[in-house]
Amino acid sequence: MPPLPPRIEVRDLVVIRKERRLLDGATIAVAPGAVAVIDGASGCGKTTFLRAMATLIPVDAGSILLEGVDAASLAPPAFRRRVAYVPQQPPMLDGTVADNLATGPRLRGAALAPAATGALLERVGLDASFGERVAGELSGGERLRVAFARALANEPVVLLLDEPTAALDPASATRIVELVRALAGEGLSVVVVTHVEEHAERLGGDRYRCRDGRLARRSEAP
Amino acid sequence: MTYVEIPLPRLGIALGLVILAVALSRRTRLDLERDLALGAVRCAAQLLAIGYVLRLLFAHEHPAWVLLALGVMLLVAAFTSARRVEHGPGARALFPRALAAIAAGAAVALLPVFLLVVVPHPWFEARYLVPVGGMMLASAMNVVALVFERIFASAHTEAAAIEQLLALGASPRQALGPQVRKAVRAALIPTINGLTTVGLVALPGMMTGQIVGGTAPEQAVRYQIVIMYQLVAVAAVSGTLAATFARRLLFTRRAQLVVIEPRR
Repeated sequence: MPPLPPRIEVRDLVVIRKERRLLDGATIAVAPGAVAVIDGASGCGKTTFLRAMATLIPVDAGSILLEGVDAASLAPPAFRRRVAYVPQQPPMLDGTVADNLATGPRLRGAALAPAATGALLERVGLDASFGERVAGELSGGERLRVAFARALANEPVVLLLDEPTAALDPASATRIVELVRALAGEGLSVVVVTHVEEHAERLGGDRYRCRDGRLARRSEAP
Repeated sequence: MTYVEIPLPRLGIALGLVILAVALSRRTRLDLERDLALGAVRCAAQLLAIGYVLRLLFAHEHPAWVLLALGVMLLVAAFTSARRVEHGPGARALFPRALAAIAAGAAVALLPVFLLVVVPHPWFEARYLVPVGGMMLASAMNVVALVFERIFASAHTEAAAIEQLLALGASPRQALGPQVRKAVRAALIPTINGLTTVGLVALPGMMTGQIVGGTAPEQAVRYQIVIMYQLVAVAAVSGTLAATFARRLLFTRRAQLVVIEPRR
């Protein structure tokens, strides 16, 4: 079977800040349903890479293609609804968990039905009754799950995750790893930044190492 | 029309009130003596100077001079509201925007009133245009400074939440919406408080001045009502424009939150 064409492809991304090249030609391609795992020493540009890929920061050179279409030719909100980014410590927005989940749909003038809220929460391993909780009062692991569900409410096709397991206890981290694998199993393309080797291995997928603002391919998916 | 004149030596007696404040500052170590003294000197110097400028303006009434005076006041107002905005992009970027926001608010408040409500003869009569114009410019200056201050500060402290909204597909207008609303509300609230308490707590300066000057109180209050309504328009227009300009400075064309480096 020929390999699937990449769902998202990043070519020679360069980000320069204060004369420092934070990214220096970073390149990656992720197929539908595939997981790409990026590791590397802190300060090597992993987070910058994800933020640039989410189009949240200006880039100095290079291109991002979503299903073959240059991100620069898409309206930023339209691109970001399809390419979800979950930062390392995702901030909770005001209101309940249900309010948080409804944010993406609300921003485009749509509503999120209660049943859909419950389904999203269950998809990330939370009870449907969680919707009533005040988002600001959740624990780190719960926040992360809510952030996943909030991102999924936009029905993205790509998920960018920055150190999703770093702040979690081992049991929560394991559940997140399983969740990421399950989401990839549903067809999402996932890019995960992690420095925890064990989680990287369990996530499977293609391995990249970030070094001096570049991504070096380490291995193919098993 | 008679009023009690103030000879210069008696101004000196009034200065005693500032000296009282300086003494209190020293005693309670507020460390404000220098600011108080400098403020008192500047206040006297600026007002005495504008007294002579107004006298000259009244004596040689010409549209060019009146407009020049208003123009200088506008420049000073814009300069004042554009400097020292913490987490802001610097006075060079803010000054032209402050100028536009203040000028627009003042124009909206002044033009219809001078054309339809209080119609001076000739149209450029300085004793109407300069003091009323000054009040509007001063109010616009405070509103713009406050809106800039609050929006840039909240964009700094709430950057993560704003970026989260962008990541979820928000436009810059949506992502900064809560901060903009809070800032413009905060700018409007003093004016609204003024509307509801005027006459109960404070008798405003213009009205007081007219009454002291011999104007019939029922006419003086009508002037004051017009002024209060003008101030509402100034706060709404200048505040909204300042917020719009601030928002545009805070995002790139590709809807990315701009990181404003702290200035030294």
